[in-house]
Amino acid sequence: MEIIRADRLAKQFHVNRHHRGVWGSVRNLFSREYRVVKAVDGISFTIDRGELVGYLGPNGAGKSTTIKMLAGLLVPSGGEVVVNGRIPWRERREHVQGLGAVFGQRTTLWWDLPVIESLQLLKHIYRVPARRFQDNLETFEALLDLGPFLDTPVRSLSLGQRMRADLCAALLHDPPLLFLDEPTIGLDVVAKERIRRFIRHVKEERGTTVLLTTHDLADVQKLCERVLIIDRGRLLYDGNLDTLQQQFGGKRELVVEFAEVYETVEIAGATVADRRERQVTYHFERNALSASQLINRLSRRYRITDLAVREPDVEATIRRIYEERLLE
Amino acid sequence: MRKRNRVFGHTLTIYLRLLGVQLRSQLQYRFSFLLDLLATALIVLVEFASIALVFGRFGSIQGWSLGEVAFLYGMVEMGFGLMDLLFSGFDPPHFGQAVRRGTFDQLLLRPVNITTQVLGSALELRRLGRIAFGAAIFAYGLQHTAIVWTAAKVLYLPLVLAGMVFFFGGLFMIGATITFWTVDSIEVMNILTYGGSYVISYPMHIYQNWLRGFFTYLVPAIFLNYYPALYFLGRPDPLGYPGFAPFLAPVVGAGMLLLGRAAWRWGIRHYQSTGS
Repeated sequence: MEIIRADRLAKQFHVNRHHRGVWGSVRNLFSREYRVVKAVDGISFTIDRGELVGYLGPNGAGKSTTIKMLAGLLVPSGGEVVVNGRIPWRERREHVQGLGAVFGQRTTLWWDLPVIESLQLLKHIYRVPARRFQDNLETFEALLDLGPFLDTPVRSLSLGQRMRADLCAALLHDPPLLFLDEPTIGLDVVAKERIRRFIRHVKEERGTTVLLTTHDLADVQKLCERVLIIDRGRLLYDGNLDTLQQQFGGKRELVVEFAEVYETVEIAGATVADRRERQVTYHFERNALSASQLINRLSRRYRITDLAVREPDVEATIRRIYEERLLE
Repeated sequence: MRKRNRVFGHTLTIYLRLLGVQLRSQLQYRFSFLLDLLATALIVLVEFASIALVFGRFGSIQGWSLGEVAFLYGMVEMGFGLMDLLFSGFDPPHFGQAVRRGTFDQLLLRPVNITTQVLGSALELRRLGRIAFGAAIFAYGLQHTAIVWTAAKVLYLPLVLAGMVFFFGGLFMIGATITFWTVDSIEVMNILTYGGSYVISYPMHIYQNWLRGFFTYLVPAIFLNYYPALYFLGRPDPLGYPGFAPFLAPVVGAGMLLLGRAAWRWGIRHYQSTGS
């Protein structure tokens, strides 16, 4: 069952030409010069209920424009989008009732109010039945460890605490769909891990569909089976993270520690990337030979004391995709 | 119909709850609240004292006594202050910032009528100082004029206040709408709101024709305060408008509010199609 369907979805903006100086600001008042920026340039995808999808792309790629269209904040300039069976911008109120959203950079809570009062206000706004609210609050309080700061005003929370409170706020009304925009930005490793655990729980236990945009590829690696990659308004990749790695993952590394210093360490199927006395680093293609084949070849010729295989990380893969435009 | 009633009831209770939040939030900063209150009250007092000084010198302004001008002045302070309190969320500089900081988007993500949410997003309690001192000046005006009170006048007075609240509230909404496009042009709106409220604090026959014409035909603020005052004070109309002119205040107010609402809705549609 699909929950999001985007069909040749597009959004273009008219950016007014800005003239500088005093005379320029007078001209700005009357000038109708503009250039057209295609922020989202005809992308199509569907997301099924219960999926956890990572939405990736460099800054300015069109990520937040897409999210804004899915959330009903922006009207598309082309194509179609259906979320939860509705056209988001046409039925804003009904649409957002079925939506949870956390924008990492800002909070939806009331700045001067204790967290618990903000949550209670949201209960009224979303008309959450008292019983349901109580149950959800108890669950989230335990999972996110909200207890210590439920009575603290939002303005005095740390960034990590605020993010946890915001996650709770976004899910109190049991939305089937959750948008997370940079939910781990600026957090330390422990706080990040806690948030990831929570996201996984929400997906697995509640069946919530999650669309996650992030710059932290560890988030993607640990959470998402599927990623969408967008650049310059176009969808470059839609699929499995492993497949992406296999296709574009670049070279794997084998670091070998030999028992003695050999004169030549060349071997068929791999290139020597680095050599420091007894320690040699080989690069080899995943498709050309397996790690065990390579180790076999080496151990037949040399005496090995230690070795390690290093996978190329997702971060490097995606950076390569952007930089070398591998998908275009 | 029943569904509509339920939505309306929900909207209203959310509005009241949002105001409650504003109240509680601001009472946390009691000291700064008191200072603000004091400061706004002082401004009103100093402004009115300077008018009183002019009267000490000349006795009257083109036939109007200090008490009569106090009536005009007090009405505007109360009406504009009340508007400023209730429509704080639409105050253009405040709203412009909400758009640029993305807090307006946060409101659009909640399943409640957007106008209600903006109204509930701010409640500048310090305006109470302005309203209180406006009421004091108004009381002074009542003491120093011999108004013949009738039932009709007693009933009409709150409608005149409501007219001012609606009128300037409508202007605030138009100003807020403009900030979807630009924050540079807010000054133009200030001329209408703050300038307009200043102009109608005085008996309007003292102004030159072009200025009075502007506030009669383009921005009909003359009917908000001056004409009702003629009726309350029992003064003849020196400008010769039809006899119903003093009773236009609620109509003019409601008209401006409707205009503001239309602009606002159009602005939101534009915002959703362009972003900011």
